[in-house]
Amino acid sequence: MNNGADKKCEIWAIGGGKGGTGKSFVTSSLGLHLASKGNRVVLIDADLGGANLHTFLGVSKPRNSLTDFFDKKAPLNDIILNCGMSDMGLVSGTLSSLDSENIKYAQKLKLFRQIREIDTDYILIDLGAGSHNNTIDTFLLADKMVVVTLPEITALDNMYHFIKNVFFRKLKMILGAHGLKDMIQDVWKNRDVHGIKHLKDVVDHLMGTSTHVRDILEKELASFSVYIILNQIRNSRETVIGASVRSVCLKFLGFDAQYAGHIEYDETVLRCINKRLPFMLTHPYSHVAKEIGKLTENLKDGRHVSMMADRYARRL
Amino acid sequence: MQEDYKNYFDTLEVSSDAQFSDVRNSYLHLKALYSSNSIVTSAIEYELSEEKRNDILEQIEEAYAKLADFFSNKEIDSKGGEKPAFSPDEEFKQYVAGITVFSGEALREIRERLGVGLKDMAVFTKIRKQYFEDIELERYSALPAEVYLRGYVIGYANYLSLDPEKVANDYMERYRSAMRANANI
Repeated sequence: MNNGADKKCEIWAIGGGKGGTGKSFVTSSLGLHLASKGNRVVLIDADLGGANLHTFLGVSKPRNSLTDFFDKKAPLNDIILNCGMSDMGLVSGTLSSLDSENIKYAQKLKLFRQIREIDTDYILIDLGAGSHNNTIDTFLLADKMVVVTLPEITALDNMYHFIKNVFFRKLKMILGAHGLKDMIQDVWKNRDVHGIKHLKDVVDHLMGTSTHVRDILEKELASFSVYIILNQIRNSRETVIGASVRSVCLKFLGFDAQYAGHIEYDETVLRCINKRLPFMLTHPYSHVAKEIGKLTENLKDGRHVSMMADRYARRL
Repeated sequence: MQEDYKNYFDTLEVSSDAQFSDVRNSYLHLKALYSSNSIVTSAIEYELSEEKRNDILEQIEEAYAKLADFFSNKEIDSKGGEKPAFSPDEEFKQYVAGITVFSGEALREIRERLGVGLKDMAVFTKIRKQYFEDIELERYSALPAEVYLRGYVIGYANYLSLDPEKVANDYMERYRSAMRANANI
């Protein structure tokens, strides 16, 4: 399984806008599943405001953290902690003093560069809540962008807000890289004039401005896709929400989305978290663990759950 | 595959090599999603105008109707099929004359008395067997929009040598009142 040298490392970022949707639980569980299948994994806690990914892995006080990287200029490679399993590393995000919103641009670039240089198979980045630019840029850095949401209107609302911001920033970056930096802001500012109501209209409008712009966008957006994980579902009817959210992304927001799968609600998860026990290790045969295993494989292969396959899934 | 069909598959959010059952399932899901409110659409309500919703629903209907034809043609292509000549006896004629309203159940009764299979009807009319089944069972929510449905009911009636106008009027009246009742809940 460990064909390190010839296999390119893949970066997954896990975000979602709202706090409390289970991002850290999902990140740690995805990592534990990948490691159990013989992959080398490094988890990075980028929730600098409220880092606690270590708790999900049974680590009480991380020896090193990103503080060492930002304040003491320690190389990222030196602050990777070994935890849980032999093939799994953790970069803790606990910060002692730093104002996390004010990480300088140069520091951010340095961090991104060093993340890419880590010698491993998978790097999973756990993002904080909110749609701050630092969060969005880290999200966009990933090869696979994953959002974790709940079957609740507030979670969905925040998730839409988050992915819209991500997509908008991506459009800006694409156009900026081709010397069309202000184009999207102009279009958005004058959206009433152009009859633009939602993000998909913006893309359609931009595509229509010239074949040059169309070619750029088509090429750059071809690989842009967001993976959706629906967490804490309580009945089988809720699984369909994943497919519904995907549809809204395709039809209103104008970008591709994939439904990676769902995780059912289980109180045992919370009990394990409170005891600092990694759920995937203590309950490997539970439904939740199986669902996580399945959706991790879906993410790995870039596969999408068809609505019906999920709806009629086993027990639910 | 023609570019048009690719768009229809895209509209229904399935891949171009999807089976008809996937197409149908996705169609039913999308129709339900955009014709009612759920937390998924409410969370993005401020962008989801009534007008846009209706646009989408229309596109979904059109895509489904086109793809249903596409799949029918694919299956039937070489088979052709011929409409049998019915020579109904007096008893049967009286039975049909005694029907006041052509409901789905009445249609099925007639078809079965004539010994006609849904599949043969589908082959000849190039209308999907699934539609005929849904028409007989009056599974209205699974059936396509009114304009398309009327055409299918007429195809059904023609095949059985019934009065297509009378059958379609009866059937669509039942359909509309059921849909109204449904909307009022």
